[in-house]
Amino acid sequence: MEPDPPPPPPARPAGHGSPPLTRSTRYHRPRAPFCGVGYCTNCLVRVNGVPNVRSCQYDAAPGEVVEVENAWPSARFDVLAAFDVLFPQGIDTLRGFRRPAFAVPWYQRVVRRLAGTGRLPNPSTARAPSPGRLVTTDFVVVGGGCAGRAAAESLVAAGHRPVVLEREPRTSPVPGAEWFPGTTGVFLPPPRAEALRPFELIARRSDGSALDLRARRVVVAVGGYDASLWFAGSDRPGVLTAEGAERLRPVERPGFDHAVVFGGGPRTLQILERFGNHVEAVVAPGAIDPDVARRASELDVPLFPRTLLLGVVGRRSVRRVRLAPRGGGQPAFSVEADAVVLAHRRLPHPQLFFQAGARMEWRPDVGAYGPTVGPSGATTVPGLAAAGESAGAATPDRARASGVAAANAVLAGGGWPAPDPSPPSALHHELEGYYQELLSTGPGPGKVVVCPCEDVLLGEVLEATERGYRGIEVIKRYTGLGTGLCQGRYCLPDALLVLALREHRTPREVGYITQRPPVVPTALGALAGLPDDPEAAA
Amino acid sequence: MSDMPRRPYRVAIVGGGIVGLFTAYRLLRAGAGPVVVLERGFLSSGASGRNGGGVRQQWDSRVTVRMMREAVQEWRHFGREFGTNVWFRQGGYLFLATTPAEVTRLRQVTEAVRAEGLDGRLLEPSGALRYAPSLSLDGIAGATFLNTDGTLYPFPGVWGVYEAVRALGGEVRLGVEVTGVRTEAGRVVGLSTSEGPVDAAAVVNAAGGWSGDVSRLAGLAVPNVASRHEILATEPLKPFLDPMVIRLADGLYFSQTMRGEVVGGLAVPHPTGTRAGVPTSPAFLRSMSRSLVRLIPALAPVGVLRAWSGYYDDTPDGFPVIGEDPRLPGFFHANGFSGHGFMLSPASSKRVAQSVLGEKTDLDPALFSPGRFLDPHRRGEAEGLQPG
Repeated sequence: MEPDPPPPPPARPAGHGSPPLTRSTRYHRPRAPFCGVGYCTNCLVRVNGVPNVRSCQYDAAPGEVVEVENAWPSARFDVLAAFDVLFPQGIDTLRGFRRPAFAVPWYQRVVRRLAGTGRLPNPSTARAPSPGRLVTTDFVVVGGGCAGRAAAESLVAAGHRPVVLEREPRTSPVPGAEWFPGTTGVFLPPPRAEALRPFELIARRSDGSALDLRARRVVVAVGGYDASLWFAGSDRPGVLTAEGAERLRPVERPGFDHAVVFGGGPRTLQILERFGNHVEAVVAPGAIDPDVARRASELDVPLFPRTLLLGVVGRRSVRRVRLAPRGGGQPAFSVEADAVVLAHRRLPHPQLFFQAGARMEWRPDVGAYGPTVGPSGATTVPGLAAAGESAGAATPDRARASGVAAANAVLAGGGWPAPDPSPPSALHHELEGYYQELLSTGPGPGKVVVCPCEDVLLGEVLEATERGYRGIEVIKRYTGLGTGLCQGRYCLPDALLVLALREHRTPREVGYITQRPPVVPTALGALAGLPDDPEAAA
Repeated sequence: MSDMPRRPYRVAIVGGGIVGLFTAYRLLRAGAGPVVVLERGFLSSGASGRNGGGVRQQWDSRVTVRMMREAVQEWRHFGREFGTNVWFRQGGYLFLATTPAEVTRLRQVTEAVRAEGLDGRLLEPSGALRYAPSLSLDGIAGATFLNTDGTLYPFPGVWGVYEAVRALGGEVRLGVEVTGVRTEAGRVVGLSTSEGPVDAAAVVNAAGGWSGDVSRLAGLAVPNVASRHEILATEPLKPFLDPMVIRLADGLYFSQTMRGEVVGGLAVPHPTGTRAGVPTSPAFLRSMSRSLVRLIPALAPVGVLRAWSGYYDDTPDGFPVIGEDPRLPGFFHANGFSGHGFMLSPASSKRVAQSVLGEKTDLDPALFSPGRFLDPHRRGEAEGLQPG
């Protein structure tokens, strides 16, 4: 007897895949998962009395207590969302709330209560620091993706036993390597040249402990991530990065029915291959790659090249996406969609290189900073090499080749191959012209929350520049942009481009984005459990 | 670039941190004439943008208590005068002692504070819980609390005074490095800078951690030492802690900011200064985390968001250096604040301006004058209450 075919999935309302999971800090705007990789603040929940747990990175077991944060009575309906409605232009905590004098302490109480996300952990969660480990080795490979695996395999083939740190908890180890799953390198200070093992690397583990690694040589192959974009409602539930779309997919179907995909390059092609039947339109800031166009036409997906994404309509979910052809002259229009997938820009993770003191350079192709590297992936820091996206290798094949090259670089004794100084090249990124038009057109109704972690609005950034504050470091301190839980990953790259426009300078002149450790938030209890410094004891 | 107009200034101030800006503001308000502030980096790039925002009146010395009492009033009304909110929140300062000697020390501080008319209180260990219920009292032997101490958000302080200086016609030049102090006939006549010479009848050295370098540019030996201190911020939490908390034993200080982050450090310099440009160190993250989690065990699962470092401008006795250098007429000091320059700036800047204008100040020369380090027989009483 034939088994019954599985029942068709029940019809779900638009935006079904992204009900609000939490509320934002200042305006209590509804938020649902965005990045899917544990960086953004849109999926924070309280688990067993511990605040600010990223639900996309946590598998709750039956019996664990998961609570909504920063919302009352629920994430779907939150009374304090009144602040979002009452203050359409935002709350000016810098210059407002100064009069009358007798009310200032009262303002203080209100503003203070609007800040912050989770509550202090329950006292019952208090425990002794999680004991960490000291690991001494010759070679550390940070990242176990294509490039990191290739580097580790080369090191094993050369007779070594490298330590590999891999962020994902469930991955298959490279045979012969010492494999640390669920482990993220968070702090790599500049090496001490005189030491036997010049590098000290602090890593965070998924069990709540930390590692203190001492190594002779380090290969960093930490890859990249899909960037955000500034538009009205870019923080709304249903707006996702490409990674978010890939990772947050329920088992049998994506978290959306008809998405607008933003971007015209290889990442969009991947999204089309994977979710083609659920894509409503492809919108790109510039031209659309021929292979993307070909695949889209096979799938009957309309293309909108050279188009501004002005904003999304919908409060708790995306209902429509407002678009406008670039170049002016043609009216804005909108398409029905229940999600926006941002697949236009992939950025390398620069933190460990910056911390280690490597020379960084502006990469106009991606519109971001990365380490200056030689052909082998060698950085300007002797003993430190880059592989994969960190070294500019965008495809898996090139990533593997760069992993092998980086392994050879760290294996080579003697002199460290100094990279050539980068030739002067185009300093502007395609998105600068895009943002120029977006700002002159105006994104239309709704808040443009450029820093969702701290609910910083585009208007606040523009006002700061109008007052004469210049440079990314000053704007960051003036607006609070980039100081939240994602540590600036999703706002500072675009801020650099927009400030370049406003200040009539190149992004490089606007400044470098300082990367303060740790790379990802690391529990006090994990850091407290780090072993005593063996060198200090000796 | 040489587009800096060659105009004679009455006063050129080296350093665009809160001390330099506040000094410019006081001078302009007093009608001193043209004033220029020269800042090598960007606004708030130095300690003014890197400190923990503490404002306290609990000190060993009554003169410091008095000056800080005045500063507290200024910070309370900052928003009205300058148009920006520093969110000065008077949640108090809670000092914790772990030994009988430290309890004695705190008793003396409280006596000085009370003698100045402030409501400082010596507490039993359990009394500390009233102000910070999340504390673990393990090992705590006593405490003091002063409810009018507090914390502020430093950046808007810089923006507010900067805008006020410009509104009064003062110039603030960013990205200009001072390369020399020009003198004629034993008197200051101006500065050499990366953008050309500046003529000024008086120069104020408000360069914070770099003030020793600036004094040496003028050929003056000074005992100021730049010491690197590290600090961290956790992920933001809903309000749970009102006061700034300080544990004397290890110099731990921390508070919860208006943004919800727990911000704090250890008031011991971290001896990795030879690695120039290092923002912070694993050793600091480890010792700071241990210290904090010991005092508030519930913080163990809370993430550290970022850590950074900044420079204190330390003097041997812990007191600032304010006034004209007796060896070089026209060269004024506004430095040596030893980690407390921001909180003192509204009050200290008045004395700096007075001394530049040749007016009498209420400062005890034995404690504040630049000349005090020149006296080989001097026995200064150290301002020992260093943390936070």
